[in-house]
Amino acid sequence: MSVQTTAKTSRPDPPRRTGTSAAARWRALRRRPLVTTLFPFAVVIAVWAVVAELGVFPSAFFVGPATVADSLLTSVQRGILPAYIVDSLTRLAVGTGVGLLVGVALGFLIGLNRHARRFSWPLLLFFQAIGDIAWLPIVIIWFGFSLTSVTVVIVYTVVFPLIISIVAGLDAIPTNLLRAASSLGASRWRMFWEVYVPGALPGLSSGVRTGLGYGWRALIAAEIIIGTSGVGFMMFDARRQGDVSHVFVGMAVLGVLWYMTDALVLAPLEKETVERWGLVEGIGR
Amino acid sequence: MSFLTVDRLNQVYTDVYTNEHTVAIDDVSFTIPAGEFVSLIGPSGCGKTTVLNIVAGFVEATGGAVQLEGVPVAGPGPDRGVVFQDFALFPWKTVLANVAFGLKMNGVGKAERQATAQEMIDLVGLSGFERKFPHELSGGMRQRAAVARVLATEPSIMLMDEPFASVDAQTRRVLQQEVLRIWDLRRTTVLFVTHDVDEAVFMSDRVIVLSTRPSQVQADIRIPIERPRSWTDMHTNEDFVSIRRELMGMLGVEGAEVAP
Ligand SMILES: Nc1ncnc2c1ncn2[C@@H]1O[C@H](COP(=O)(O)OP(=O)(O)O)[C@@H](O)[C@H]1O
Ligand SMILES: [Mg+2]
Repeated sequence: MSVQTTAKTSRPDPPRRTGTSAAARWRALRRRPLVTTLFPFAVVIAVWAVVAELGVFPSAFFVGPATVADSLLTSVQRGILPAYIVDSLTRLAVGTGVGLLVGVALGFLIGLNRHARRFSWPLLLFFQAIGDIAWLPIVIIWFGFSLTSVTVVIVYTVVFPLIISIVAGLDAIPTNLLRAASSLGASRWRMFWEVYVPGALPGLSSGVRTGLGYGWRALIAAEIIIGTSGVGFMMFDARRQGDVSHVFVGMAVLGVLWYMTDALVLAPLEKETVERWGLVEGIGR
Repeated sequence: MSFLTVDRLNQVYTDVYTNEHTVAIDDVSFTIPAGEFVSLIGPSGCGKTTVLNIVAGFVEATGGAVQLEGVPVAGPGPDRGVVFQDFALFPWKTVLANVAFGLKMNGVGKAERQATAQEMIDLVGLSGFERKFPHELSGGMRQRAAVARVLATEPSIMLMDEPFASVDAQTRRVLQQEVLRIWDLRRTTVLFVTHDVDEAVFMSDRVIVLSTRPSQVQADIRIPIERPRSWTDMHTNEDFVSIRRELMGMLGVEGAEVAP
């Protein structure tokens, strides 16, 4: 369930008379979208708090939610965290933006052109095997500790899953749809826009999901290794100072940002297209 | 005048892995005059779909020729509208946009193509479902939409490959009557592929029977049953009963009796 529909769909409980069982009230509560979304997290946080309270691990290694919330608040107040988040998101946006452009263009070229496919497929498999961070050493030699290096690594990780998903999406278009379009008089150009592009959308959207996920991870890795700012840098810097609580803050921020990307961007786009057309079932809903 | 000419068609498929050759169609010739409803029947795997795909231009024959109004067929085109067994509606387009698709591809303006599409939707009985996506419709409704999509471009001939095989028996009879009703209004030439003898006899002016693979034309039978036809009185129709029995015999379905 996406977060932004919460306001519309959650209604106040109908007035209840005495005698309503606690169980019924609980069931009604569980049906509210916001509650449904937050409940699993509440459980995790509660377990976390209990484990921290019991002192299972030394507090130098493991801090409780209260301590983390405290660190979160101070770093927000000092403006460090917001600035780092903006830095990270900007890098991710630049990297995935370029990655999307390159990946979508190459995906359709390789998916639709026989020669391009024969030429590039072995190369694709080869370069895909050289994981994102495996490029960091050489990229740092070429571009130094710069935004360019981070961008190159993100673009690299976004492009491959995108190309492969788009090619798979194009291959999955039923032959009869292509036949129907051409027998109704569609030119090659029209076929591209009217059939291949929408037909490849399920593949494209799963490729964007995978690509963005990989890009996000590559960003944190790059920030840890070559960063001077950003969420990844914050976590690594905190580790250097033995500040476990800020490492936890960083992890929580990563999770929340990804959740919001999904809920605010990816899920609504999928809902309006591939889900509406009955091409895929709601993902995780 | 013969409108569609299928002349000495031959089709050999080559398996890309084993390099084995399969002669699907040995030698098939027939002609269809304008305005006739002709069924092609034969045992499963005898090459009915292959013949239709060659006429549609989806498959290039290894031998023989197809001419439509004297012009050799090369590749698919809107002069030959195809109705597929699996409907082949565009899932990302509404019923209206699906039906208007052919007109859009042929440069008809938006207002005009939507008006025509609406007309076709009304004709096939889908009024009120214009804004639905195909996955929101039943099988029968999807095939109605597919028929409307083909009718909208006014093809010279309609090619239908087992169009009712994916819908339930009840809906199938309704659709058979519906298609005949619509066909009666326009008398578009139809080449209709089926393996269902009852359907072939009920729908057609003529039934062409293909032999088992490698196929040839085994028989070409005229159906003199008066139109309009309806299923309610078909099983007591003498022509229907006798032609049906004759065809069943040809296809090796001996001892088959007409269902009550
Ligand atoms: N693309 C293809 N490649 C290889 N063999 C094929 C192909 N299409 C059909 N065949 C073979 O040709 C024969 C006729 O097939 P088809 O035209 O689909 O028959 P029908 O529609 O009468 O059931 C079958 O034996 C089938 O296996
Ligand atoms: Mg067939």
